[in-house]
Amino acid sequence: MSQSPWARIGMRNLGRHPKRTLLTAMGLAVGFFASVVLVGWSQGLVNQMVENSTSLLGGQLEIHDAEFLPERGLYDTIGGRDGVDLDQLLTRATSDVRVVAAAPRVYAGGLVSSGNSTVAGMLMGVDPEGEVALSRFLDVLTAGRLPRPGQNELVVGTEMARQLETEIGGELVVVAPAADGSMGNDLFTLVGTYRTGLGEIDSAFAVLPVEDLQALVVLSAGRVHEIAVSTQDPWVAEEVAVAVTTAVDGDVLEAEVVPWTELNPALVEYARLASSMYGVILVIVFGLAMFGVANTMLMATYERRREFAVMLAVGTTPWGVVLSVLYEALALGLFALVLGVVMTAPVMIWWHNAPPDLTGLVGEIEMMGSVVSLTMQVEYDVNFAVMTAAALLATAVVAAFYPAVRASRVPPADILSGL
Amino acid sequence: MTGCMGCARQTVGLVAVSMTTLVPPSYAQVDPYEIMDRVDQLYRGESSHGTSTMEVVTENWDRQMTMELWSLGNDFSLVRIQAPAREAGTATLKADRDIYNYLPKVDRTIKIPASMMGGSWMGSHFTNDDLVQESRLVDDYNIDLSFDGDRDGTVVWEFTLIPKAEAAVVWGRIEYEVRQADYMPLGVRYYDEDGELARTMEFSDFVTLGGRTVPRLMMMRPADKPGEHTSMRYEDLEFDVEDLDESFFSLRTLQRRR
Repeated sequence: MSQSPWARIGMRNLGRHPKRTLLTAMGLAVGFFASVVLVGWSQGLVNQMVENSTSLLGGQLEIHDAEFLPERGLYDTIGGRDGVDLDQLLTRATSDVRVVAAAPRVYAGGLVSSGNSTVAGMLMGVDPEGEVALSRFLDVLTAGRLPRPGQNELVVGTEMARQLETEIGGELVVVAPAADGSMGNDLFTLVGTYRTGLGEIDSAFAVLPVEDLQALVVLSAGRVHEIAVSTQDPWVAEEVAVAVTTAVDGDVLEAEVVPWTELNPALVEYARLASSMYGVILVIVFGLAMFGVANTMLMATYERRREFAVMLAVGTTPWGVVLSVLYEALALGLFALVLGVVMTAPVMIWWHNAPPDLTGLVGEIEMMGSVVSLTMQVEYDVNFAVMTAAALLATAVVAAFYPAVRASRVPPADILSGL
Repeated sequence: MTGCMGCARQTVGLVAVSMTTLVPPSYAQVDPYEIMDRVDQLYRGESSHGTSTMEVVTENWDRQMTMELWSLGNDFSLVRIQAPAREAGTATLKADRDIYNYLPKVDRTIKIPASMMGGSWMGSHFTNDDLVQESRLVDDYNIDLSFDGDRDGTVVWEFTLIPKAEAAVVWGRIEYEVRQADYMPLGVRYYDEDGELARTMEFSDFVTLGGRTVPRLMMMRPADKPGEHTSMRYEDLEFDVEDLDESFFSLRTLQRRR
């Protein structure tokens, strides 16, 4: 660009009105900042929703009998009535390096009662230690401790505990239809409470060791409904599902490995919708900026009509005039881009690593099976940043095109004669 | 079983109708509301005591239970399992709108929450709601005579019940089939809100128990699970039981193991 006289003229012209140049560049730079930060924040929220939805309770993958979903029937255990060799299945399920943890689960619908209060809920049998490695909802109990196998202990959500009007150490009657047709029932001791922030979980899930729930509902030791699997990154779940399917193939008859993207398609759709909006954001932000740049360039070229007239009079082609204005606009865009990067980078780094927490203002938001803490958490998206930079430069150049054409059409004789 | 107690009362009511109405009305005289109201009214205030056998057949297991049961009107009932031994003493009490289960294994009583009224009773195809259903058909449903004539060799009425807009009921439509000769119920078909058949109840084995003709066998079949059913067979039954009043239907009685 520096080799071209038009480029030198264009860039030099920026320095004639430094304040105007700075203000115009700021308009584009703020557009860059707004786009990158807004999209980064949106991606942060989506990632938080996906992360919470998959790691809070569910896991990124589920292995279960092909008939288990959607009814989650008591009899639809992995491997059918014979069950499976759990240790072998868990070993195979965790053979892929992208798998972080895997743990068995048993489910049964039932009643939990304390005194005169009874709550209908989901009994969830887990391996307490394995579950802590797999999911987050038992990581930090609001009170008490995890249940120990064989001790008839359980933990419930804080909302269920409130409805049952009980506390740690309280006696709970647990009733559930058993696999042999009988009504399984036993006394348990509440040893802990958890809180996810999701009302439907905190009020409905009673968690107990998988062995204890199997005994209650008369399922043999090898019969579990689900192996939940967590992965390093939720977005590789589909690929890992294929790998895990291959790993467990042959061990389990009619079992299927389902990634979260199939279990929660609404969340995937939401993420796609959010992505599709990013382009719209660019169009709106830089569409507005374009008028500002066009206005500035129009004023600048109007002020320089005599200069353009001289250029044309001494033999410069109209295209040369156009080029000089477009180079000026491009230089303005580059300057604005530098400003934008300088403005955006520190904020992105800050909000990515230590995002301001807005939870105190609006509380936690429950949406699409996930609980979202409203923070300014942003995610880096280099591709989008590059796209935004390109949009910024394009905006500057396109906005200058009309003023450039007008500048190339000034009548030299009239302008120079003062008409 | 819970529903069967209601069915038993209904049966009793229908039997009583047949006893008090010597000549069935002609088609032109049939007033569905009057008939259903009389059926409803007649088994209110009745008391009963009996034993029955329930057989539950599912895809995964079969089981049989023997039960002793008491009822008083439409508001009070008590069912206690006598066999198998593992569940002997397990009992369900309905008092007004509340249902309690007594669990002898842990010697505790739990109250069944409203959200579980649609849940299965003791693994059968009857629901808790079948037991506590207090709605009066004539109050909650618009009733039309939808069939009057011979069906499979038996002259029957078929009444179609459509819930009224404000009625808090489970079913979208109910079809009752009643034998005209003696007002015996022959069958009930329950449809969900989408108009899909949800379950059917069949009555058979009409015998005299407690001095009244009743269908001894009732069979509930879920429409979505072919091959599954719950049957209820009365072994003995007595009506207008002396000294059976509301005080009998207490938590204390519930917790008696025999």
